[in-house]
Amino acid sequence: MQSEEFTTIFGSEENGAQASERETTAAASVRGLSKSFKGTRVLEDIDFDVAEGESLVLLGSSGSGKTTILRIIAGLEEPDTGRVILHGKDVSELPARERNVGVIFQSYALFPRMTVEANIGYGLRIRGRPRKEMRREVERLIELVGLEEHHKKYPSQLSGGQQQRVAIARTLAYKPQVLLFDEPFGALDAQIRVRLRREIHALLKKVNVPAIFITHDQEEALEMGDRIAVINAGRIEQIGTPHEVYNKPETEFVATFLGAANLLLGVVSGQNISVNAILVPAAEETAHFQDGQAVKVVFRPEDVCLSRTGALPEGARRLMNGIVEEISFVGAYERLTIRLDLTGRQPAVNEPPLYNVNAGATDTKTGVPIIVTRPKAEVSALPFNPDDHVAVGLTSFRVLPNFTLASERAGKIVAARK
Amino acid sequence: MSATVRAMRHVRGFDVVRPVSIGVMLAIMLPLVLLPLASIFIFGTNKGLGSFWAALTAPEAIFALKLSIVTSFWATVFNVLFGVLGAYVLSRYMFWGRTALIVTISLPTAIPTAVAGFALLLLWGKYGMIGQFLSEEHQIMFTPYAIILANIFVTFPLAFGVLMSVFETMSRSLEEASATIGATRWQTFWHVTLPSLRGAIVTGALLTFARAIGEFGSTILVSGNLAMRTQTAPLYIFAKFNEGQVEAANAVAIVLALFSFVIFSILFFARDWLDTD
Repeated sequence: MQSEEFTTIFGSEENGAQASERETTAAASVRGLSKSFKGTRVLEDIDFDVAEGESLVLLGSSGSGKTTILRIIAGLEEPDTGRVILHGKDVSELPARERNVGVIFQSYALFPRMTVEANIGYGLRIRGRPRKEMRREVERLIELVGLEEHHKKYPSQLSGGQQQRVAIARTLAYKPQVLLFDEPFGALDAQIRVRLRREIHALLKKVNVPAIFITHDQEEALEMGDRIAVINAGRIEQIGTPHEVYNKPETEFVATFLGAANLLLGVVSGQNISVNAILVPAAEETAHFQDGQAVKVVFRPEDVCLSRTGALPEGARRLMNGIVEEISFVGAYERLTIRLDLTGRQPAVNEPPLYNVNAGATDTKTGVPIIVTRPKAEVSALPFNPDDHVAVGLTSFRVLPNFTLASERAGKIVAARK
Repeated sequence: MSATVRAMRHVRGFDVVRPVSIGVMLAIMLPLVLLPLASIFIFGTNKGLGSFWAALTAPEAIFALKLSIVTSFWATVFNVLFGVLGAYVLSRYMFWGRTALIVTISLPTAIPTAVAGFALLLLWGKYGMIGQFLSEEHQIMFTPYAIILANIFVTFPLAFGVLMSVFETMSRSLEEASATIGATRWQTFWHVTLPSLRGAIVTGALLTFARAIGEFGSTILVSGNLAMRTQTAPLYIFAKFNEGQVEAANAVAIVLALFSFVIFSILFFARDWLDTD
């Protein structure tokens, strides 16, 4: 289908300059949402905006409250406090049917006694649109989601992916202000999931309707989201682009929930961080911290570089030495467990890079294990065996405050966001 | 060794248990169920279809059958309408006393029908708790209305139970989806909820009708068993048998039996259609 046809379906007269203008205003906003169920706080002060045409992913484990947020936006649940604003209009007091949002339920919730056509046309039918107009719209939507051969079929005769497309078309029919996807790929098997993800992503970009996704799958979140809000225990831990959330996690939860992360405790010491006896230069990372503050050094397995000689690539910072403890092959890459020698010291000038490693003997189990991943090319260029001594460097890492009290942490996050 | 024996018993040779158990089942079920049913047909037609027809078309017999059908019909209509309403309310709203209400509605299934009839008499009868306030011409006991009332009392739990179980297993997300699409409560009920109830409504109606048309215990107490006025088909069978007119009783019995065969067949053979959701 051509883009002109889409604009006629979804009535977006504003193209080009006007469209970019609209991106600055939020299509959907949520302000200060809180909700308790039977005395248990499930949501605490949830705030976010979704721009026109943007996809926001609410990422969290089950029980984090993400589904409740979705249901509140749809009007299926009432918040204790807070407001829902759609295109500048406060809809907090409106019932679900007057909010004009499209919800794609996890079970799709297709009407079992209606054909594909009738399901898609339902929104127009209850709005009393003329039969002719209805048929035309349904025809376009069926074509849009590629279900031309299934007009007269019932939902039970369709595959999971097809049902989902019917569910999406059914909501698009009445031009919703925002699409809400509740774990859209949860009920599908892994291979179909990846394909559908791409299809829906492409479809959303075509129709330019803002969308909020709910998922617990980090890969899905990274792929579907223009931005990701990581939710934990009813709070937004961090909200940002996939790049920001993955590479610059603001909290330990975000770092560990979204991808794998290694954590080391340290103390800020001038422009360095001292991790036990070792000083890691971190002028930039320590800028926001005070001297002597307890911190966590967080780094991804793929941000670690290993070397036998101690020569590390440009830009990598020397951490300490370690011993290869375990090597496993995980398809596209190799995963190593390295036991870091925490009592070691930085090599002095002119000292050979591989000095004696104390944590060596595997039976003593001292030192801290970290996970390292390496791509195939690197593995074949520099193969390791268990018990090899290696120098460990980091190409990049994050420094996070090491809070002891939850309240202290909560306060810091709020301050950091403002 | 023991393993071979076990294997032989299960796999090889002639299994004695099979024909014996089938034989026992037949020996029990034939005299219990099939022979009595067969006997009404054999007896009813052994003097020729002519006498059967004559017995069936006697005015009293016709009246009794008509009365049974009409009273059962109105009980069915009531059960479907209020069964849907009751099940909808009780499955969709949580309120204090909800469970107690569900139990109360379902209670008549466990009450002997004679007790049910007697209870209705005590309430609606001339000297009953409510009946005493009704004038002579508005008395409902010993009228067809009393029969409908008794039918409803006895059969409502059947229709309600079928509908309630469907409501309770029905996914809420269908109704929620309809609401988010923009439907009013009524539109949602009409387009989404009701179509899913189709099977339950038909099943509930058939069960009500089948049960009501054969109702005896409560009817005999509240109707007065007046020929050509409040005598339903089962009462007619009973009365004619007592008078020694076995052919007359038998003709109506055959009709009632055929009714239940038809209803049972529908419930049995259309169960896929009735179950689909």
